Amino acid sequence: MTSRLENKGPFFIDFPARIKAIQEEMAKEKIDVYLGSRLRTLSWTLDAFCPWRSFVVIPAEGMPAAFTFVIDAARIADESWIDEDHVFGFVPMGGQDQIELISDYIRDILKNRKGRVGIESGMSNYLPEGNLTHYEYERFKEALPDVDFVNSYTIIDKLSMIKDEGTINRFREASRIVDVGHKAVYEAIQKGGWKGMTETEIAGLAAYAMRKEGSEWEWSYTGGNEIACGYRTGLAGGACTPATRKKLQAGEPLMVDIHAMFMLGLGDHSHNYLIAPVSDRQLWHAQNFLDIVNLTLKTYKAGVTPSSLAEEMMAFAEERGFADYMVPGFEHGIGMMGDEWRIGINDGPFPFWTNPDHIYQENELIICAIQYACPDENIGFRYENPIVIQKNGCEPLSKYPLTVDEIE
Amino acid sequence: MSQELIYLTPQWRDEAERRLKESLTPEKMNFITSSMSNIYLNCPGGGSKFLFFKFVDGKLDSLQVGEGEPPEAEFKITGDYETFAKISRAELGSQKALMTGKLKLKGSMVRALKLAAIADRLNKVLSEIPAKY
Repeated sequence: MTSRLENKGPFFIDFPARIKAIQEEMAKEKIDVYLGSRLRTLSWTLDAFCPWRSFVVIPAEGMPAAFTFVIDAARIADESWIDEDHVFGFVPMGGQDQIELISDYIRDILKNRKGRVGIESGMSNYLPEGNLTHYEYERFKEALPDVDFVNSYTIIDKLSMIKDEGTINRFREASRIVDVGHKAVYEAIQKGGWKGMTETEIAGLAAYAMRKEGSEWEWSYTGGNEIACGYRTGLAGGACTPATRKKLQAGEPLMVDIHAMFMLGLGDHSHNYLIAPVSDRQLWHAQNFLDIVNLTLKTYKAGVTPSSLAEEMMAFAEERGFADYMVPGFEHGIGMMGDEWRIGINDGPFPFWTNPDHIYQENELIICAIQYACPDENIGFRYENPIVIQKNGCEPLSKYPLTVDEIE
Repeated sequence: MSQELIYLTPQWRDEAERRLKESLTPEKMNFITSSMSNIYLNCPGGGSKFLFFKFVDGKLDSLQVGEGEPPEAEFKITGDYETFAKISRAELGSQKALMTGKLKLKGSMVRALKLAAIADRLNKVLSEIPAKY
């Protein structure tokens, strides 16, 4: 995966500067130590994929330290920008379990005086979010009785919202890889190649093509590459279709939503097909979908909000007579691995959900996500594409042609 | 030698140093540079003691026995005197002592894993010293 040796050129991210920025915010909030546990925080600070329960401890000054399950500690030390002396593996041994190891480390930083430790607490629809659990919190409180624990996740959320050039370039590369995956799917299923194929087979051939291009994994926790055919494309409000063993059928739609990861940057793009014979009604649905995607992409720019955009798009859908088939949301959040949930910071009316009045800014990166579903007719389409918000528009990172392809 | 030495006395230390230098060549010690302090709590007669090892390029550079604060070391292992004694008498495995929390290790586990086999070699030499606990 990511290697510090690769961390050069267009994909360079100044991680020491990120840590310094966190430390400046910690100083403002009088936090002596930041104890990060969310996957997004680990990726954003360590530049390494941390699939096991892991923590980052950031002191007021100097290098952060990573803590993870010992079986993966050496790899993280190898891939992260931080040195081996700052990566610790925890094991069920005296003094080496995660609570004692981290508590000892924090105690050493604090030099046994009282202090304030920032933690990450909250909730999410995203399973691997990684907030500190209640149990962990209670154990840390017991181990560090003189420490005040304060919820400080907003430090990371604010700093990571606007993306730097290196991050955006990693996403650009992941999207280029996804486009190669889409091309491979098209080549495999065209001219009758789809016959006898299952959703899982399509997921796999896209994965193989993307891996050959350097993708690290089909990162999405929704089952990797999401493939849906037939009625599954039109599940009501559905935007999660892990591939199944369902076979592709003539006369049915096919949705291919594939994911690539490049140095913790994420590709996420969906392309849609109609397998012949194609009815006029199916083409009507497809045209509706293409029109609203095109309009959405034209509308995204700095200054708009999720709610203003949704209102505009739903008005368009109503006018055209397909509002009943639209999910009235047009985005989800995205950042380095582990950050795949809400837009912006946690400042909306419902805690930890996207603030509908969030004002998009230049160099925010989001997934433009559109779901069109008509369950009664067993048809639906999905659009997902990482976009970079610009002053007067947006840059869609996947360049794969926006069409609903009819295949024989 | 067959005379039993009292564990952690200067005489025991001297014998330990002699045996370690004789048995553990730099090759056998993988040319490591590292240090370790064993902290013995609840020693006979009360109080605590330490046993400090330092290897430089695989050669034993320092072996100290003492009371009070041990020298700074890469690894610090803390436990009851009786736990260490059981390990030395081969009545308890060091891994099991760590995994049941009878011993506490401070230091990088990643580094410790690399040194586990070397530590076993070292402990084996020490366990062969005829000793009274």
